[in-house]
Amino acid sequence: MAMIECRQLSKTYRKGASIIKPLDSLDLDVEQGSFLALMGPSGSGKTTLLNLIAGIDQPTSGSLTIAGQNIAALSRSKLASWRAKHVGYVFQLYNLVPVLTAYENVELPMLLHPLSRKQRHERVGTALSLVGLADRHDHYPRQLSGGQEQRVAIARAIVTDPQIIVADEPTGDLDKPSAHAVMSLLVRLNQELGKTLIMVTHDAATAEHAGLTLHLDKGQLVEQSVTAAFSGETATTHADEGGDA
Amino acid sequence: MRRLPFDYAARNLGRSPLRLSISVVGSVLVVVLAISAYAFVRGMDRSLVGSGSPNNVILLGAGSEESIERSEISTSVASQVQATIPGLKSQAGQAYVSPEVHAALAVSIEKDAEPIGQAVFRGVTPAAFSVHPQVRMIEGRTPQTGADELLVGQLASARLGLSGDRLAVGQQLWIDDRPFTIVGRFAAPNTVMNAEVWVPLTSIQTLTRREGISCVVLTLGDAEFADVDLFVKSRVDLELAAIMETEYYDQLSAFYQPVKMMVWITALLIGAGGLLGGLNTMYAAFASRIREVGTLQSLGYSRRAIVISFLQESLLAAATGAVLGSLISLALLDGISIRFSMGAFGLLVDAPTIGFGIAIGLLLGVIGSIPPALRCLRLPIAEALKAN
Repeated sequence: MAMIECRQLSKTYRKGASIIKPLDSLDLDVEQGSFLALMGPSGSGKTTLLNLIAGIDQPTSGSLTIAGQNIAALSRSKLASWRAKHVGYVFQLYNLVPVLTAYENVELPMLLHPLSRKQRHERVGTALSLVGLADRHDHYPRQLSGGQEQRVAIARAIVTDPQIIVADEPTGDLDKPSAHAVMSLLVRLNQELGKTLIMVTHDAATAEHAGLTLHLDKGQLVEQSVTAAFSGETATTHADEGGDA
Repeated sequence: MRRLPFDYAARNLGRSPLRLSISVVGSVLVVVLAISAYAFVRGMDRSLVGSGSPNNVILLGAGSEESIERSEISTSVASQVQATIPGLKSQAGQAYVSPEVHAALAVSIEKDAEPIGQAVFRGVTPAAFSVHPQVRMIEGRTPQTGADELLVGQLASARLGLSGDRLAVGQQLWIDDRPFTIVGRFAAPNTVMNAEVWVPLTSIQTLTRREGISCVVLTLGDAEFADVDLFVKSRVDLELAAIMETEYYDQLSAFYQPVKMMVWITALLIGAGGLLGGLNTMYAAFASRIREVGTLQSLGYSRRAIVISFLQESLLAAATGAVLGSLISLALLDGISIRFSMGAFGLLVDAPTIGFGIAIGLLLGVIGSIPPALRCLRLPIAEALKAN
């Protein structure tokens, strides 16, 4: 059974008089431990798909089953609890809370879990060490570079040990060295810790870090490509255009 | 439900010192205003209610129950009451029966000078100190019967708009071109008497060219109000009415209800302005954090947790303002004398008043934060994450 199963997944919303359909009857299976890149032009539905998988948006129709649970049927409050347990989100603009230190930012999602202060302290320390910023724990976001901020954001995304990490243009706001460092980190999370990683990107070079790249257009899957460095099937599409990958 | 750390709310206040200052100053103004209004109403009520003793009955002219100053009764009523009604309170054979003249008279501070204002005068005999136990001498002596001497209450200077020195013992006041020497000062805290000028009964009768008196105040001992009422009804020739002193001042308090309402309405209107200003500030503060709110939700924080955090933030600013406002009110408002037709009273900034001010300040914090917080959370998370 796949880690993520999308069946006839659609999202529509009204904008003025017209109806927009950013995602149109998408079928997709993602195996546990996959690293998936989503590409496509603006408005193709890649961020919508990412947000649906992350549980911060809900589909208009279809089912979205993650680790055996149909999250499309969850209420808003249950979905919030589900997110806290199962998903880590990495944003393009890092989205760190400016009034909290690096340590406190990473600790923030931990406060949603019944852990002691000591347990939180240990796990935050581990996460910051993993991203190479243990010595910056008391720095505020404004005292960090963009690359460092993104690494803190990654530490925040993994500190609760979620099954899935979603990343929306994680290197979109970084210079090349920082982008490389961040991607190396994400690859490590996938390969060494076995995290299922789904990443939206416009950059083909960034997408090459993923095992499989799915191309979307007008809310539908139009193409998929397996990175040469990776072997084995990681995702299966059920869209009309696609076959088994 | 897991809450956001309190530190988050507290530190958010420091994001914009200007915005924080506006919030705190707004809260200070509303709290000072609320305390002023409440201190005014409580001060006036305390002054009027405290003026009446529960065991005192006022005998005054029939038809003048609403104003002692308009009342005119025979001077002999005092002795007739004393002789007829058994069981009145007495000490050393002297019944607690006080014939009094109440009059508002123009006062000058120099001969032939323009009057500086009207003071509330009470013509009394020594019995007045028995029936009005709230009054105690704090300086000097009591006036001699028939002499042009007077006593001034602690707030008489405030009533006349004079400095306290000007009404010190030994100074003179001119009434109808007659000099009266201040021979003593008395205190009658929290009563209208505190702003009065007391003169010997015969002196004020001469001064006002009247033979009668305004009223007789008596203290019930074993006697009951019914006994006094029976006397009034049996002596219709005297054209008297009897009223409990507390009831008389309650009526006066009710008479000033429109004034109190005006004070409240003014405070409410200005407070509403303060609230709108606070709302505007909070809208701006929260609106600038829409993406952050989206991020917190994406981490798993519920909308309620975020609203509570915003509420904490707003309450913290409001509470700071409330405490500052209370301290300012205590320092600047407490005891300030307010003149009114019955004399003067002091603004009462005590624990209930401060409590009221702080409650209003905190209420402002709640009302000022909930609508902006809900508006901030109105956007779907995915939309909020796109916000600039």
